[in-house]
Amino acid sequence: MTACTSVFAVSWPRETRTETTVLEQRRQLDQFLADVERRALRIAEIAVRDRDEALDLVQEAMIKLARNYAARSRDEWTPLFYRILQNGIRDWHRRQKVRNRVMVWLGRGQRGEDDYDPVATAPDPAARAPAEVLQSREALQRLEQAVRGLPPRQREAFMLRTFEGLDVAGTAVAMGCSQGSVKTHYSRAIHTLREQLGDVW
Amino acid sequence: MSKEPTNKDPFADRTRELFHESVDRLDGATLSRLNQGRQRALAELDRAAPHGQWLRWVPVTGVAVAALVAVMVVNQPGQVDEPMTPTDFEMLIEHEELELLEDLEFYTWLELADAEASGDVG
Repeated sequence: MTACTSVFAVSWPRETRTETTVLEQRRQLDQFLADVERRALRIAEIAVRDRDEALDLVQEAMIKLARNYAARSRDEWTPLFYRILQNGIRDWHRRQKVRNRVMVWLGRGQRGEDDYDPVATAPDPAARAPAEVLQSREALQRLEQAVRGLPPRQREAFMLRTFEGLDVAGTAVAMGCSQGSVKTHYSRAIHTLREQLGDVW
Repeated sequence: MSKEPTNKDPFADRTRELFHESVDRLDGATLSRLNQGRQRALAELDRAAPHGQWLRWVPVTGVAVAALVAVMVVNQPGQVDEPMTPTDFEMLIEHEELELLEDLEFYTWLELADAEASGDVG
């Protein structure tokens, strides 16, 4: 066997394993993102009140996860993804604050905040009775308004725990804080929401 | 760290149910854009080098940021409630659209021209 064929004999199986690993990693990441993307979009949309902005934030989070954390175990992806997304949402709010101050300074006023209603235009795939649909949409609208009214960290804890279903440890990773803080934020959020919405349901 | 079993709290269950209904109601165009975003993310797995596209805007944004900060330091507006730092502007402009950059450059030029005319600058 020549030197050349020896190299081929040694390296070929390794390359095949690597290719298999990359393909498997891509498949798993695709599956993970497909599973999480719609909930992530709605969570971001509730936080920023704009679907286009929310789509950008979710895409940015997906790209950053793929770029930086694809090699991590799948169990870590959910809290890491939401940590990236929450950071993006916080940056977005900070940019909006600065942007509005610049616009005020330039004498061009602020963007309207009350002209967005994602619920009103959404179709109803379940084809329920109009009264039932209306009741459900009104309840959702009130829920979203109440969630948006929460302090940012309570809102994050509530949405990650209730909407995404993360446990306390996962929520702590996603929020970059202790598990005790998560419990406190979540408890306060639930208390406030129950006070505001309890009579509706 | 994983998903938790369903919470038995009826209030939390109801909010979760409403949320998932809204997720199920997402329209086809939105789902298509999510899919496109996911494909872009997966394409990252094939790239060895990090993105550097934002560097294209460094010369433009650098000038706009420096000029605007200078103008805002010279002309303290009454409506701004707290001082803005260069970092704030960098953060804003790094993600902003071209229209805002053009606006900033125009208003910066306008302010500087006014300031020069009144003898505040230079």
